[in-house]
Amino acid sequence: MSFTLALSDEERLVQETARRFAEERLLPRVRAHEQARGVAPELVREFAALGLAGAEAGAFVRALVLEELAAVDPGAAVALDGAGPAGAVLGRAAEGAGFRAVVVDDVEEHFRFRDGALDGDHPWVPADRIDAAVVLQGDRGWIVRAGWQLTAVKPCGLEAAGASRFVLVGAPIASRVEDPRLRAHLRTWVAALLVGAARGAHRYAMRYAMERTAFGRPIAHHQALAFLIADLAIAVDVARLAVWRAAAALDRGEPAEWEAASALVEAAEQALFVGPNAVQILGGHGFMKDHPVEKWMRDIRTLAGLAGGRDAAEFTTAALAPEHEAGLR
Amino acid sequence: MIDLAVGAELEAELEGVRRLGREFLRPLGIEADRNAAPVPPDHPFFAMAWRMGLGQPLGVDERARAGPRISARRGVVLAEEMSYWDRGMSVAMPGLGLGGPPLIGMGTAEQKERFLAPFRDRERPHWAAFAMTEPGAGSDVAAIETTAVRDGDAWVLRGAKTFISNAMRADWIVVWATVDRSAGRAGHRAFIVERGTPGLEDMRYEHKMGLIAYESSSFTLRDCRVPAANLLGGERHYAERAGFKGAMRSFNATRPAIAAMAIGIARSAYDAARDFTHAHHVLDRPTPRAQRVREKLARMARKLEVGRLLCWRAAYLADVEQPNEVEASMAKAFAATSAQEATGLAVDILGDTGVTAHGYVEKLYRDVKAMDIVEGTGQIQRLVIARRLVGLPNA
Repeated sequence: MSFTLALSDEERLVQETARRFAEERLLPRVRAHEQARGVAPELVREFAALGLAGAEAGAFVRALVLEELAAVDPGAAVALDGAGPAGAVLGRAAEGAGFRAVVVDDVEEHFRFRDGALDGDHPWVPADRIDAAVVLQGDRGWIVRAGWQLTAVKPCGLEAAGASRFVLVGAPIASRVEDPRLRAHLRTWVAALLVGAARGAHRYAMRYAMERTAFGRPIAHHQALAFLIADLAIAVDVARLAVWRAAAALDRGEPAEWEAASALVEAAEQALFVGPNAVQILGGHGFMKDHPVEKWMRDIRTLAGLAGGRDAAEFTTAALAPEHEAGLR
Repeated sequence: MIDLAVGAELEAELEGVRRLGREFLRPLGIEADRNAAPVPPDHPFFAMAWRMGLGQPLGVDERARAGPRISARRGVVLAEEMSYWDRGMSVAMPGLGLGGPPLIGMGTAEQKERFLAPFRDRERPHWAAFAMTEPGAGSDVAAIETTAVRDGDAWVLRGAKTFISNAMRADWIVVWATVDRSAGRAGHRAFIVERGTPGLEDMRYEHKMGLIAYESSSFTLRDCRVPAANLLGGERHYAERAGFKGAMRSFNATRPAIAAMAIGIARSAYDAARDFTHAHHVLDRPTPRAQRVREKLARMARKLEVGRLLCWRAAYLADVEQPNEVEASMAKAFAATSAQEATGLAVDILGDTGVTAHGYVEKLYRDVKAMDIVEGTGQIQRLVIARRLVGLPNA
């Protein structure tokens, strides 16, 4: 192995295919999917047929795909990558079109494991219907394939994925999670979605700023906004590189605990900087639903609550930091 | 898939820098800081390093060699490691410094032969320097006021240059001047001004807040007559109107390296703070402060690592000969501010020890500020990015 930041031809092709699907198929229906709290079934089948996000795809390729989808519609991205980071531990069944699973990182320890069954309550998962669920609690993890109650809730964003309160009452454990890296996969997955959402918001606001004029010139040519747009561009790129590093470490078989946690913290911080500022660049128009930036802002806030929230990831990095080596390797 | 490993061939070089750093760069940098004076050019360390061939991380042979460029990533990796030990000392090291790129990039074959010659002396260390900045022209490079007027077989330079690294000890200085102030950048010319040239006067140290180990000097050009043969690139070079681009190229090549230096300083602060917490058992008791300290350490490490990725990307693009102007500016804008924050967090972690002069991290806090100023301030980096992204007009 030697240093490179180049994508392989295959990776580039996957990225290009995902981008075309997002721009040609998802973009025209972003608000329709939001209204419907789900992605049109024919698009779910169409996306599955592309074979971009199968379990064998690897974390890096998956991150490329998720960024492209989320750059158009983060909620649809969650719905389309139905098994999400759970794909690797759920096996073959998770690969069918329309399969949905959620991973709950039970940071507050609301779930109780007793006699082979799980009880507990989680206020929000990004789905209205699922085929399997994974509950992580510290070093332990359980897979359930039945026994949940999903009650629809109204989310801040990510409507196209669905949103429900998730309750387990004596849900039988189908199996235990044997992969200690599932949490790192989960965090990298969320971080990749955040990168896409931030990119979409930045790109849209930047284009708007070049067309909208105020005081006789494009607003992008007022230095206050020009500098902000530059900082937003940096934010997106920083977050992406952090995600790429974590995903590549996972694909090399490394624990990637530090890389994945810091990718999520970084992506959340940067995306939460981008989202509200993208709205700000559009001013009053940004606040209205006629433009998609308000949606990206809400989607970003919602995404950053997944995987136990950014605090959980930050807590991991804080626990590791005193022994962490940041030297050149 | 991407691969972010340093790699075996660089690892060996890094190990050499680590030894040099531990034994010499760090102690000499701290000593200079306490003495409030740069390490003098006749310090035995420079002669020793020069004889070992260690004086030039980007040495004469590497720069002069034609063929595929592999040096940008090597440059950022070694720059980070050198600055980890002491950024001031890394600039104080003998060699071509910033004078190298314009000579190599613009110089005629005859000029390269002539001005590289002193650097082939392996016995005694040599320095070169690069002089663009003036008291009234920093970021606005096109506004330099030093003039060059042709007079027979010489050029006469009049003006003043300021904050020039290693100028006092340099064999020669690349001095930028204008032949036509109304022409802006197109009027710029670069001259090699050799030490001892009459009219190269008032050479004096500037007193800096940090980075004491290397000298920053200012000087006056008082009717300074420079042979016509010292016009870098010769008349023909400027007929092609590439004067300003030459200067910008040398800036552009160094931005990722400056960013990497900021990362090196941030890493030094991180290690110092982390070691402090262990040595003083800060984390051994479950005090509220312990969690704050862990979070600050985590933030420092995270920011310096992602900043490093930006540096490596900019260098990588240069190595594969793709435009890297935006990426180089992104790296510098992000790394410099993140590193400033990291050194400040380190001071927090050390508490009252942190703000005393022997706490080390307060030196880093002073040192690192320059990384957001030299080679284009953070504001200039954002201008560069915005020009490319949204077509922000010049001025």
